Amino acid sequence: MKLSASRETILKPLRAVIGVVERRQTMPILGHVLLAVQENQLSVTATDLEVELLAQTEVETESQGAITVPGRKLYDICRALPEGAKIDLSVSGDKLTLKAGRSRFTLSTLRAVDFPTVEEIATQQTLTTKQQTFQKLLEKTHFSMAQQDVRYYLNGLLLETEDTTLRAVATDGHRLALSELKLKSAAEKNEQVIVPRKGVLELQRLLNDEGDVDLTIGAGHIRVHLNGIRFTSKLIDGRFPEYNKVVPNDIKSVITANRGLLRQALQRASILSNEKYRGVRLDLGENNLNIKANNPEQEEAEETLEVEYDGPSMEIGFNVNYLLDALSAVDEDQVQLGLSDANSSCLIKGPTTKNAKFVVMPMRL
Amino acid sequence: MNNALHNWDRIVIHADMDSFYAAVEQLDDPGLQGHPILVGSNSGRGVVLTASYEARPFGVGSGMPMAQAQRLCPDALIVPPRFKRYQELSTIIMTVFSDFSPIVEPLSLDEAFLEMTGSEGLFGEPKNMGRQLKEAVKTATQGLTVSVGVSGSKYVAKVASGFAKPDGLTVVPPTAARRWLAPLPVSKLWGAGEKTQTRFAAMGLKTIGDVANSNPSLLVKQLGNAGSHFYSLSCAKDARKVKSQHTAKSIGSEHTLDRDTRHPREIKNYLRRSADAVARRLRNKGLIAAGVRVKLKTSEFQLLTRQEHFDEPTDVADILYKKASVLLSAFQHSGPFRLVGVTAFDLRTVKGPLQLSLLKRDGRERRLESTLDKIAERFGEDVVHRAGDPKTTLGADLVANLDFLDNTEGM
Repeated sequence: MKLSASRETILKPLRAVIGVVERRQTMPILGHVLLAVQENQLSVTATDLEVELLAQTEVETESQGAITVPGRKLYDICRALPEGAKIDLSVSGDKLTLKAGRSRFTLSTLRAVDFPTVEEIATQQTLTTKQQTFQKLLEKTHFSMAQQDVRYYLNGLLLETEDTTLRAVATDGHRLALSELKLKSAAEKNEQVIVPRKGVLELQRLLNDEGDVDLTIGAGHIRVHLNGIRFTSKLIDGRFPEYNKVVPNDIKSVITANRGLLRQALQRASILSNEKYRGVRLDLGENNLNIKANNPEQEEAEETLEVEYDGPSMEIGFNVNYLLDALSAVDEDQVQLGLSDANSSCLIKGPTTKNAKFVVMPMRL
Repeated sequence: MNNALHNWDRIVIHADMDSFYAAVEQLDDPGLQGHPILVGSNSGRGVVLTASYEARPFGVGSGMPMAQAQRLCPDALIVPPRFKRYQELSTIIMTVFSDFSPIVEPLSLDEAFLEMTGSEGLFGEPKNMGRQLKEAVKTATQGLTVSVGVSGSKYVAKVASGFAKPDGLTVVPPTAARRWLAPLPVSKLWGAGEKTQTRFAAMGLKTIGDVANSNPSLLVKQLGNAGSHFYSLSCAKDARKVKSQHTAKSIGSEHTLDRDTRHPREIKNYLRRSADAVARRLRNKGLIAAGVRVKLKTSEFQLLTRQEHFDEPTDVADILYKKASVLLSAFQHSGPFRLVGVTAFDLRTVKGPLQLSLLKRDGRERRLESTLDKIAERFGEDVVHRAGDPKTTLGADLVANLDFLDNTEGM
C-alpha cells in the first residue's frame, strides 16, 4: 500500500472517525484505524465494536492494499504537521512509514483481516427524513437516555416506526422524553429498535446539513450514509419498557408558565441546591409558583414566579436538572406542567405541541 | 461551680485506642506482653496493620510491607489479624463512649469524637471526664488503654489525643488552645499533606504559630481556599460539630485469596461474596450506594481499580454484583490476582432525598436479600451462602478477609 495526499485530505476522514477509537480499549486492534486503498479511494474505518465509522477520500495511489495503524497516533501526527504539508504513506513489512517534508514516522501495524468490520447489514427497511428534522428528534430526546444502567436496554434510544411516524423515546427510569417526526413515506414495517447511547451521540455529531438522510434498519444494525461517511451502529437486543404506560393521562392540574422565565428562575435556584441530589421544592398556590432550594451549607435560594394555575396548593420536589433539560427541549414560549400529586409524574410540553412530551418523576425531599 | 469551667463554652473529646490491634493481641495472649509484635499477614506479602509500642522505636509503622518491618525489627513476633475479635472489642469500646455522651462520632474501629458540652454536672471538670473515660475503657476491655484529648473543638482535641501517646490524657482549655498549638509543626494542621508542608516551608512557616501570625490574605493567595482553612485551624478555630450519625464515604469488602488466580469465574465468586457483604452492611445502616468499585491486586502488588456510577442508587447485592462483573471485564490486566474487593461509594441515606422511579423495579432480589439478612441475624452469617460459592467456614478468620471499615471523612 502506497499513497500520497495533502495533510488536510488525510485529516478529514481521520477526524470524522477518531471519536470511536477508544483510548482505553480492551483489544489492541480497537485502538487502530483501518486504512484501505482501492483505486484512488482511501477508506478510513474505526470501530469500538458497537459503533463503526467509515470515511472516504480521494488520494493519489501507487499501490493498493489495507493495513491497520494506531489511530490516535496517526491522527495526532497529521494534526501536528504544518498546514498544506504533503504526506506519503507506505507499508513495508509490518511497519507503516509516514513521510512529510523532513519528517519521518514509522508506526506499528496489525493485519487488516483482523480488523472487525460490518460489511453487509440485513436490511429490513429504509426510512427517509430531513437531516435537520432528524437531528431535532435526537436533540429533544437524547438527554433522557440512561448512562450505564444495569437495565442495558435503557442505555440507548428507542426508534419506533408507526406508518408515517418515526418516534424516538428515551428514559433513564426517572424521566422520559418522547418526540415524533413525519416520514416522507410510510414505513414498510412498524417496528422498534434501540440505538445504543454511543451511537446516538456519534450520529448527532454527523448530522448538520440541509438535505435528506436515509436510515437503513437491519436485523442487528442501523446504518446511515451522510456526507461521505458511513455510520453503522449495533442495535441493543432488548425490550424497551412500555412507555405509554408511563406517560400520565390523568393530569389533575396544569401550570402554564413563561418558559424562559421559569428556566432562568430554576437555573438560579439550582446554584444553591444540594450538589448530590439537585433537589428543588416547588410550592404551588393560586397563580403563584415558589421555587426553593437549599444545600448542606444551609444556603438558600428562593424564587417567586407568576404563573397560570388554579389547582390545589401543592408542594412537590424535583431534580432541577431534569426540569431544565425538559424545558430546554420545548419549542414554544409558554410551557405547561401537568401534575397530579407530589408522588406522581409531571408531564411537560408546549401548550400547542403534539409531537413532543417530557415526563419527570418527582423527588421525595 | 469550679472556676476552671468558666472558659469552656464547648467540650469535645477525641479518644484513640493505643496501637489497637497489637494491644488486643497482647491482651489476649499475656505471653506477648512486653514483646515487639507486628499484626499483619505472615505470608511474606502482607503489610503491617499495627505495630506494638515495643516495635515502634525500630521505625516500624502501619502500612509498611511486612518484609521490611521484619528487617527493621528482627525480634518482632508476627501475629495474624483477627478482625472478628477487633470488631467485638470495638463494640465494647463504642458502648463505653456512648455511656459518656449521646453524641459519639466514630472515625474507625478504635477512634471517636465525643461531644461533652454540658456534661460537667455528670462528670465534673474536663480533666475528670478524660480520666473517667480512660478508666471505663480499661475496665470494660479488661486492660486496653486509650489516649484522650480534651479541648473546645474537634481539631484541637484530635491533636491533643496524639500528644502524649500511649495512655495519654491531654487537656487544652479553649482559651489556651492557640498558645498550645503554636510550637507544633505545620504537619499537625489537619489536611496539610506533604505538598502543603513544602509550600508552608517555602513561605517560611514552620510552626502552627507561624501560620497563625501570618497574613491570612497572603495564605489564601498562596493556597487558595485551603489557606483560610489552615489559618482558622492555626488559630484553634474549628466549628465542625460532632456528628453521631456519621455518614460513611464508602463501604467495602475484600478478600486476599488463598492462592492467586486469573480465572474470571473464580474471581466472580469473590465479587459475589463481597457484594453480598457490602449490600448487607448498606441495608443494616440504612444506606444506598450510587457507585461501585472493583479492586484487584496483582501478584506483583499492583493495585487496579475500575468504578462506575449507578443511574439509581441501590442496596441490592445482585445489582452491585452485576455491575461489578461488567467492570471486571474492563480490566486490561489478565492477572494473576491475589486480592479481590468490592466497594460501594457515593453513599446516601435511604431516608434522605429520594428520586422516585418512573419504571417499576422488580423487587424480588431485594426481598430475597432482606430475608437472608433476617436468617443471618438469627443463625449467623455462615448459615446460608450462594450455591457455587466454594466458601467454607473453616479457618475463615485465618486469611485476611477484611470486610474493612467504612471510610469516613476523618481528619
